[in-house]
Amino acid sequence: MTTPPPSSSRRRSPLAPVAAVLAAGAALGLVPAFVSSPYALHLMVLFFLSVIMGSAWNLIGGYGGQYSVGHAAYFGVGAYTVVVLLQFRQVAPWWGLVPALALAMALALVIGSITFRLRGPYFVLASIAVAEIVRLAALNWKDLTNGAEGILVSDIPPLVVGGKVITNFVSKVPFYYSGLALALAVVLVTVWVERSKLGYYLQAIREDQDAANSLGIPLTRYKNVALVLSASFTAWAGALYALYVGFIDPATGIGLDISVQIVLTAIIGGIGTVGGPVVGAAVLVALSEALRANLVTDLLVKGGLVRETSKVGLFLRENLAHAHMLIYGLLVALVILFMPEGVVGALGAFARRRRQRLAREAP
Amino acid sequence: MSPILDIQNVSKFFGGLAANSDVSFSVEPRTVVGLIGPNGAGKTTLFNCITGYYPPSRGQVVFKGQRIDGLTPDRICKLGMARTWQKVRPLAKLSVLDNVVVGALARTRSVPQAREVALEQLKVVRLQHKADHPAGGLPIGERKKLEVARVLATGPELLLLDEVMGGLNPAESEEIISLILDIRRRGLTQMVIEHDMKAIMRISDRVVVLNSGEKLAEGLPQEIVTNPAVITAYLGEAVA
Repeated sequence: MTTPPPSSSRRRSPLAPVAAVLAAGAALGLVPAFVSSPYALHLMVLFFLSVIMGSAWNLIGGYGGQYSVGHAAYFGVGAYTVVVLLQFRQVAPWWGLVPALALAMALALVIGSITFRLRGPYFVLASIAVAEIVRLAALNWKDLTNGAEGILVSDIPPLVVGGKVITNFVSKVPFYYSGLALALAVVLVTVWVERSKLGYYLQAIREDQDAANSLGIPLTRYKNVALVLSASFTAWAGALYALYVGFIDPATGIGLDISVQIVLTAIIGGIGTVGGPVVGAAVLVALSEALRANLVTDLLVKGGLVRETSKVGLFLRENLAHAHMLIYGLLVALVILFMPEGVVGALGAFARRRRQRLAREAP
Repeated sequence: MSPILDIQNVSKFFGGLAANSDVSFSVEPRTVVGLIGPNGAGKTTLFNCITGYYPPSRGQVVFKGQRIDGLTPDRICKLGMARTWQKVRPLAKLSVLDNVVVGALARTRSVPQAREVALEQLKVVRLQHKADHPAGGLPIGERKKLEVARVLATGPELLLLDEVMGGLNPAESEEIISLILDIRRRGLTQMVIEHDMKAIMRISDRVVVLNSGEKLAEGLPQEIVTNPAVITAYLGEAVA
């Protein structure tokens, strides 16, 4: 009799996934040596940021089952703290990260202690509300944040170690490596969490809070631990993002769409799995870039389906780029409809069915 | 011998409804106490009050000499009391073994250690051959066994079993009965809610009868079956 692969046997060998992650990291580390296209590197930086945020959310949302739709709060706190300290107090970002992470973790602890009493949709709504409060605070605390005008990052000081300039942050390469390192870190943390007591407890909480509680699990404490961990990585991603694009304002730094984007990355890839947010990040970055750059029209024209100068061609050329959010939303809805366990979950189910069929056909 | 569990004048009100009113009895160590009563008598409510699922409105619960009413379920579990649920609550997406590992982690930080404890407890309930199956896919008989293995893994001194034979066929019930007797031999104390009177009579050292939230009778099994008040509560007024 064939059965689904046991989740427990996967946990027996932590070395295999760690080796796989490190190998992928090493391969990606070589990319800038061969690829000089700033556009390609830019897409990779976006991919890394998306991996960091999706994986960070996955810790509390995917493993703990607490669907926070307010992670923009931590993203924004990380971004604003580093940028404000850099622009107004001339604190180098790598030092600014320390208070940024501390603030985000403290905020997570406060938010968690209040909102984790709520369950299901009430928790989701509360998480949205808290992030909106943070956004409105940034919008109106003009002395600190410049309000809606936002803050431009003028120049990041060069990173000097032992009298030697490591990087001056002019090209995309230092951001590429920062993003890669942090993405590897959060994926490795996920591998560890999945095998630890924390991971078992979070999954128990996700499956049934009352049962978990009666088995000796202090619910709020473990949810808070996961949220604080999640918030710290999210804040780090926020800081990296703000320094990378060189600008931060309340809409792009703490807006609801950031929270939603983070959740979608994990859900589309497959929540509660190590690889899910990585796959989700790849899919979403590729998708949104293809739609934004109007690759669809290009393909239709090149494939001879639509003439560039025809009415349809002109209409598509004119409107498809603007409608990219609409198409993006539709595709996301389709994925969620047909792959409720995400891409990774769907692939896993496919592989299981295949194995079962092969086992049946084997003599 | 001092009782392991002492329930003192416990009442639980939901609005104006008294689900438990002024219930008192105690449980001696290493015994099995059967808790019976018609539907709606307040048996599960009493379990919920004892295990911290909600605090009693009045009265005290003393476990191993310590007041535990008002403590949270996780604290009470850590003190050595564990309960199963009438409607089983498997952690559906986790494997059978991992369900028990979660229970075992109440006593250890180390996952490998917890796995060892969990495998042992799966053997106790004879479910080791299903260790790698997802818990959500088990049939009801095995789910009930899983519940027992999971609470055993938390290392309790007192087990509260809420209708672990509910919905089982006679062969499965028989397995559970021998499991309860086995657990008793290992020196654990148990309080068992059950509807099957024959089973209750076989496993219980003492029986407590609840009716409409109040304690109706308490005593040895043979005293209870011949108690006129109990017979009336179960069967209605005698005809003629």
